[in-house]
Amino acid sequence: MIFANHTTSNFRLGLLKNLKAVLVFFLIALVLGFANIADAATDGHAAQSSVEQSKWVITFFWALAGLTLGSALFVITRRNLVAAVIGMIATFFGLAGLFLMLYSGFLAAIQVLVYAGAIMVLFVFVIMILNREEDEPWAVQGLLGKAMAGIGLVYLFVRLSKVLWGMNKAKTFLPAPPAEFGTLEGVGMTLFTKYLFPFEAVSLVLLVAVVGAIAVARPHEAGHKIAKHKEVAS
Amino acid sequence: MNEIFQSVTIGHFLVLSAMLFCLGIVGVLMRRNSLIVMMSVELMLNAANLTLVSFSRFHNDPVGQGFALVVIAVAAAEAAVGLAIVVTVFRTRRHVDIDRLTLLRN
Repeated sequence: MIFANHTTSNFRLGLLKNLKAVLVFFLIALVLGFANIADAATDGHAAQSSVEQSKWVITFFWALAGLTLGSALFVITRRNLVAAVIGMIATFFGLAGLFLMLYSGFLAAIQVLVYAGAIMVLFVFVIMILNREEDEPWAVQGLLGKAMAGIGLVYLFVRLSKVLWGMNKAKTFLPAPPAEFGTLEGVGMTLFTKYLFPFEAVSLVLLVAVVGAIAVARPHEAGHKIAKHKEVAS
Repeated sequence: MNEIFQSVTIGHFLVLSAMLFCLGIVGVLMRRNSLIVMMSVELMLNAANLTLVSFSRFHNDPVGQGFALVVIAVAAAEAAVGLAIVVTVFRTRRHVDIDRLTLLRN
């Protein structure tokens, strides 16, 4: 009973402590988003087509990259799950801003609506159901394994970056895309004409996922007892 | 080195997505809480999305954005099923620690 009380109070304390960070994150994301939209509205197409990029575009890119990477790092280092979810939402806002910089306004809106609005709410609900503190967040499996994993990761990153950075040699400055690129109209024309079948297949995937999620998460008395029995026996 | 900060090119976005993907891998491999692992998987999917959208802009071809939309929908389905599995595991085992889920090992 005492332990349970302790857990809930810690949970609340963590929520309060992270409130400031949450507000800062949201403010940064909002300011960046609006500034970006304003920038695109005023001189977006003209500035992009010329060779010289405006200083604002460069500043926004680095700010959004910092927000995205910083909050991703925040996600994978937090013990408090609610804080991790907030970091995740900041990552999504940063990514939405980056999508806007790539002339993909519709996808940016979908990113915020579906990820920040739907998937993260699902995560928060599950966290509220579980409501457990972690005792040992990091998997500790010896120094050798960690060193090998680190070397492998750095190797992967270097190779990946080399391939991707090599794209720069082809075209450094891109001309502005056609006007309907990345809008609802442009994406819709693609999805509903040539790629109608994949679009319909996605709806089937979602249907199967909903049925599967309900089938898996439904309280199942017999299975529950068997699992408990096996756990005691093992 | 200085020309990296002079302008923003498509390579900037692509390398950023590579970094995001590697952060996701670190999260999947190092964390024990399955919810954080799932969030890291979402990070990796988002990194893939950023690459798709970057190349879509690079070629001025909206098909990449359609693909990114499909990835978002599949990520939503994955989150729903994965969270259902997490809830079921928690119901029977009272924890969601990946290192302690060794029922299939013995």
